[in-house]
Amino acid sequence: MSDPSSPLPPAGQLGQARRRRRSPWPAVLGVAALVGLTGFIAFGNLNRSLEYFVTPTEYQQQQAQLQGRSIRIGGLVRDVQYDPQSLNLRFVVSDGGASFPVQYQGAVSDLFKENQGVVVRGEFEGNTFHASDLVVKHSEEYNVPKTQAELKDLLKTTE
Amino acid sequence: MLNLISFSSSPLGALGQLSLLGALAFSVGGLLLSVLGGLRGDARVTEAARRATWAVFALLTLGTLILLTALLRDDFTVRFVAEHSMRASPTWVKVTALWGALEGSILLWAWLLGGFTFILSLTLRRDALRPWALGAMFVSLLFFVGVVATVASPFTPVATVPLDGRGPNPALQNHWMMAVHPVLLYLGFVGLSVPFAYAVAALVTGRLSDHWVVVTRRWTLIAWAFLTAAIVAGGWWSYETLGWGGYWAWDPVENASFIPWLLTTAFLHSIQIQERRGLMRSWNVWLIVLAYSSTVLGTFLNRSGIVQSVHAFAGGPVGPVFLGFLAFLLVSGTLLAAWRAPALRDEAEPPAPLSRESAFLAGNWLFLVFAVMVLVGTLFPTFVEAAQGRRDASVGPAFYNAFAIPLGLGLLALMGVGPLLPWRRADGQSLWRALVPLLLGGVAAAAVAFALGVRHAGVLGTLALSAYNVVGLILLTARAARQAGGLGAALGAQPRRYGAYLAHLGLIVMALGLAFSGSFRRDAQVTLNLNAAPVTLLAERLQLTGLDAVTRTDGKSVVARVQIDGRPFQARLNTYTQGGDTAFPSPAVRYGPLGDTYLVMTSVDPRGQWASVRLIESPLVSWIWWGTLIICVGAALTLASPRRATVRAPSGLAAATD
Repeated sequence: MSDPSSPLPPAGQLGQARRRRRSPWPAVLGVAALVGLTGFIAFGNLNRSLEYFVTPTEYQQQQAQLQGRSIRIGGLVRDVQYDPQSLNLRFVVSDGGASFPVQYQGAVSDLFKENQGVVVRGEFEGNTFHASDLVVKHSEEYNVPKTQAELKDLLKTTE
Repeated sequence: MLNLISFSSSPLGALGQLSLLGALAFSVGGLLLSVLGGLRGDARVTEAARRATWAVFALLTLGTLILLTALLRDDFTVRFVAEHSMRASPTWVKVTALWGALEGSILLWAWLLGGFTFILSLTLRRDALRPWALGAMFVSLLFFVGVVATVASPFTPVATVPLDGRGPNPALQNHWMMAVHPVLLYLGFVGLSVPFAYAVAALVTGRLSDHWVVVTRRWTLIAWAFLTAAIVAGGWWSYETLGWGGYWAWDPVENASFIPWLLTTAFLHSIQIQERRGLMRSWNVWLIVLAYSSTVLGTFLNRSGIVQSVHAFAGGPVGPVFLGFLAFLLVSGTLLAAWRAPALRDEAEPPAPLSRESAFLAGNWLFLVFAVMVLVGTLFPTFVEAAQGRRDASVGPAFYNAFAIPLGLGLLALMGVGPLLPWRRADGQSLWRALVPLLLGGVAAAAVAFALGVRHAGVLGTLALSAYNVVGLILLTARAARQAGGLGAALGAQPRRYGAYLAHLGLIVMALGLAFSGSFRRDAQVTLNLNAAPVTLLAERLQLTGLDAVTRTDGKSVVARVQIDGRPFQARLNTYTQGGDTAFPSPAVRYGPLGDTYLVMTSVDPRGQWASVRLIESPLVSWIWWGTLIICVGAALTLASPRRATVRAPSGLAAATD
């Protein structure tokens, strides 16, 4: 294995300049690792771990595809029921077209109000969305309604 | 667009803009002089170029000082000050506002680049590389100064001067670490421009002998140490302020600093192969071009908005400009390397499969694969959007962990084997003999952990490899100390080697911290009523003993005083005048050598009767910060000069089998 062999094709995808008489095995190892990992991605790991962002209407259209996957869903908050003592939060996320009940276990700030824009991460069980967390976006130009305006834009495009 | 007339209302702005334009002019002149000096081989022209770096640095320093003055004097005629600072901020926040937003951070970047170029101009040897290394630095300077003087100038005036500025982003003034993290990060990024410049000079002159690698080792190490510190500081900031009890989320911003770190770490190892054996010449050139480009790529990703990030800055025209510079770096690097390809061939024998250089090379491959995978994960949502038209898809941490854990373990395994192997060729039998104690140590550690009930494969693997590494480092050091007649003597003779060992040890400490805190973190939420009976959470007794409202100069805070098992904790929720009603948590953390208790207030009753809290228990988190400190001390040690003039590295195994 250790004898110098004929020139190899450039290893990897980075286009190294060609070398003479290199031991083949490090290059082989590298290529194997790359090929293995690429295959690993191609066979769905990446696709499975991809988290889509949908509005309630979009979810309604793609229910078959997204059922049971971790997704983020964005819309406006309706019918908030929150008990600070038990930290149970129930609300409805709506984009005017469709709406789904959401369950969340955890504290919310008093900014969480009716008609507020919201993005939640979690998955559907049946028709109820079980949220694992409420996503907050920071932006450099710090103003809270920005996400809401973005959401309203979103909602307009889905109507 | 520069409207010089409107500057009449903003004297500081005008002065700052003039100093930046001056720096730009000297950068152009310096670049021309360097190229001319290099082509003609005229030392006097090169000397003029060298002095141009002083002018650029002086003018950039002036510009930075002017912006700082404007911030401290609340001069709202300067747009950057009006948009990112305000009267009520404490002084330290006004100072850090300098790099709290895009234009200022590019100015800081340019200033540091000017500083590095200035230091380089003092240390450059008078050889053929000099004009070209200066020229390559001027190319970088030209870009950054060009950006900060035109499309992203902090000095553009405002038409109507406001009474008070909009203030800095609250998220950035919530913790002093945010003052340090960007500076460390830019020091790391900018530091990489020097090895890059040397590589360009070596390519242009065709002097690809190993001199450039020897010179750049120190520069690279310093940049690498800053980058390491910066990444961990960012993690610590996240841990201390975001209130989720974590330190790393594979956010695009984090990835943007991690990719250069991976490539630089690979480069640090592969230049040693070139230094010792004259191998991997073209590999090193490629690697440093990629590493330097990746710093620009990261900035492009986070400023262009093509990747949705938790804390991406808003961009404007800066994204495309950075993309252009990235393309320029990659294309010119590729063309230069292709043009010099015949000279880049290695002269020495190729490495034997069982040798230290092969271990380094395998490690390099793992680092490269790691960097490519992180890049794929970062860009994948963008590809999905382009291909499927879906907005805002994101790749979760699960995707990254799926490859980061095996790759990290693979690197730990190589890290243990590398120092045991001699350069050139190892003999299998003696290697096996040297490996036995390490393997025994690793197996023993994993067995003990398993007996204690650890069932997590990643943690068991990390533990086993950590023990295996520690045993190896101890044996190597002990043997060397015996031969040299004492530990001090061994250290003095080979600070580089023991600095590297120490850095490896720090990395092991860090790896244990990552593995344990990632796998055994416990987290629970509860609402505590004021002065009610204690509530049991995670086997600890929590009691809310007080809720106070505090008024600060730049906002308000609510302080919850909680007793956890009788120990006092104070968790805060801070609101900022310019942040609306959004509350930023300031968790109470009790650091411990074996684990942290972390308490965050998540919401509070407006009438002051209850507070909801989240309690997080993470084991060994502090090991991440301590490990980083050890890594940086080790890196500093490798910079020390050996006590003897010439050091012949004895091959570890030959010594063992004498």
